[in-house]
Amino acid sequence: MDYNGGSVIAMLGKDCVAIAADLRLGNQALGISADFQRVFPITDRIYLGLPGLATDVATLYERFRFRVNMYTIKEGREIEPETFAHLVSSTLYERRFGPYFVEPVMAGISRTPTGKIKPFIAATDLIGCLNFAKDFVVAGTASQKLYGVAEGLWEPDLEPEDLFETISQTMLNAVDRDAFSGWGAVVHVITKDKVVTRTLKGRMD
Amino acid sequence: MVSLAQQQPIQQSFNPYTENGGTILAVSGADFSVIAGDTRQSEGYNIQTRYAPKVFKLTDKAVLAVNGFAADGNMFVKKVKQRLEWYRHAHAKDMPIRSIARLIQTMLYARRFFPYYVYNILGGIEEDGTGAVYSFDPVGSYEREACRAAGAAQSLVQPFLDNQIYFKNQTPAPGTSFPQHLPLQTVLALVIDSFTGATERHIEVGDGLEMYVVLSRGSTALQSLQSIRGVQEITATNDGERVFVIRKELKKD
Amino acid sequence: MANADGGAYSYSLTVFSPSGKLVQIEHALAAVAQGTTSLGIKATNGIVIATEKKTSSILIDDSVIDKVAVICPNIGIVYSGMGPDFRILVTKARKSAQAYWKLYGTYPPTRVLTQEIATVMQQATQSGGVRPYGVSLLVAGWDSHRGQTLYQVDPSGSFWAWKASAIGKNMVNAKTFLEKRYNDDISLEDAIHTALLTLKEGFEGQMTEKTIEIGVVTVPTPQELEEENKDGATGRVKPTFRKLSEEEVRDYLAL
Repeated sequence: MDYNGGSVIAMLGKDCVAIAADLRLGNQALGISADFQRVFPITDRIYLGLPGLATDVATLYERFRFRVNMYTIKEGREIEPETFAHLVSSTLYERRFGPYFVEPVMAGISRTPTGKIKPFIAATDLIGCLNFAKDFVVAGTASQKLYGVAEGLWEPDLEPEDLFETISQTMLNAVDRDAFSGWGAVVHVITKDKVVTRTLKGRMD
Repeated sequence: MVSLAQQQPIQQSFNPYTENGGTILAVSGADFSVIAGDTRQSEGYNIQTRYAPKVFKLTDKAVLAVNGFAADGNMFVKKVKQRLEWYRHAHAKDMPIRSIARLIQTMLYARRFFPYYVYNILGGIEEDGTGAVYSFDPVGSYEREACRAAGAAQSLVQPFLDNQIYFKNQTPAPGTSFPQHLPLQTVLALVIDSFTGATERHIEVGDGLEMYVVLSRGSTALQSLQSIRGVQEITATNDGERVFVIRKELKKD
Repeated sequence: MANADGGAYSYSLTVFSPSGKLVQIEHALAAVAQGTTSLGIKATNGIVIATEKKTSSILIDDSVIDKVAVICPNIGIVYSGMGPDFRILVTKARKSAQAYWKLYGTYPPTRVLTQEIATVMQQATQSGGVRPYGVSLLVAGWDSHRGQTLYQVDPSGSFWAWKASAIGKNMVNAKTFLEKRYNDDISLEDAIHTALLTLKEGFEGQMTEKTIEIGVVTVPTPQELEEENKDGATGRVKPTFRKLSEEEVRDYLAL
């Protein structure tokens, strides 16, 4: 899990969600890239973060892309975040005894059957055990640090701009205490009608 | 039926160390110091006791927090206290905190090859009246800092403190700057937040919180301290430094 | 020449006749046309599917015959044609619904399940050593994407969505009847009565709660939807499809 390093966090806000990831790709202690994207858009409203073994990050992203495209065509509609979370879970559990070394984190906005907006976050372990949290989810080599900072900074019902500030500070300060994560970060704030993506500069040591 | 030929000799070994969980934390202000620790003591998934103090008053200007292997910690505190008493007999005064720090280094390094399995954080008031925090590794490396967390939830608490005390990754508003030292009220609030956060996410942290506050002579922080419910003064001498302890409940699950 | 109508082509399932027909499929449709009548009507707030349950002997215990089958909490089907073939399809459809649930954590939309069943039926028209399924199906279900929908699947594997349809022995008359009676803002209660009237048209013998079966889709209220359709105690999805009990059928017949 800490061969390539990397961390992801997702947070819930008021009618918005945010997902952040660092940009480091390493080979053990050696830094290789400061521009490694480990968060991927799945639909206009769903983002998926894949911290873990880089080769599995690439493979799994392609598998999810395939499965989501098949779903979209078959069902004639976009996949809902809850459904996508179950898809991630079942895809990982298929490899229960030879798992992908990845701990996915998801963030999205779903619409209830009556048309209301429902922000959504979830994470799974490497074999697909789902965690639907109501505050924040973390994963990766800095997960402990992310838990600690997020527990101190996060509060309920943050507006998009405040949520951005909270998740950015959480990410930056957590990865600064982690040797395997850092080298900059990217943050996506998802609201019902747009996604704002910002790249953060971080310590390069 | 196991035949005699198949029986293997079993190597028995004694491990002199255990890890007893818990977390300690200290923050220094301009003219005060806060030293805190939770009171849970555990071994593996068992809670041995919900009240085992990890923070000890050494003198009226020095408080020591020990975390790691509880037996070593208790013995170490006992020996430090003994050395401080000898110092009082010889010099008729309390040892200054920077000297206690050096003493602790010497005592820890003396056991370089069978160390006390503990992380120490020493907090108190320097001779010039400023708040001080010294942190140690188990074999005596030490440094003076403004804040330090150690123990089971160090990885949870330290980055939070970096952000909130050192203002890491924050930029001051144009034309302003961040304070070098925070007021006591702010520090106490951060310490409480750190421990409730750590209690929420770490199984080895919880039950109770003890926060020692050391004030320098005539510290203005005294007023904000007196407004806190349940604060207890434990000052022993009339030297001017004053020591208080604040006890709080933490979640017990 | 093997026989009069299909010639040599009538035996091989996978060989087209010169006129472009797969004769075995035509035969399968003939088998359906001999089956008892089934029908379905889509209403504004639900769907009704109904069928005639005829037994060849009064000695048969008809209480254990199921012609309307629940596939998953939101979908039910009824058939005309060969009972044993239907049972196989029910089993496959239920397995498919559960597999979907395992993958996505929800039960399939009606269209997806219908397509799945249709695929199974199509494969039986193109594989060696098998014959087509001797049934037509009416699939009724509710899902958040398309609401209540009613599909018909034929032995060839073709399927269509209907506002109202009938299959089996009396389908032509029944459809004509439905065309007269149907309107776009029919309620479920009215649809159930229309279904019973339509069945009565071609019914042989006495129509009782023992000789017909009814299944209904009910559209959940917005409030029920917000509760995520979960039963608090078991965590199970609250069904939107259910079969009417004999008592309920008797009450509808009495009106």
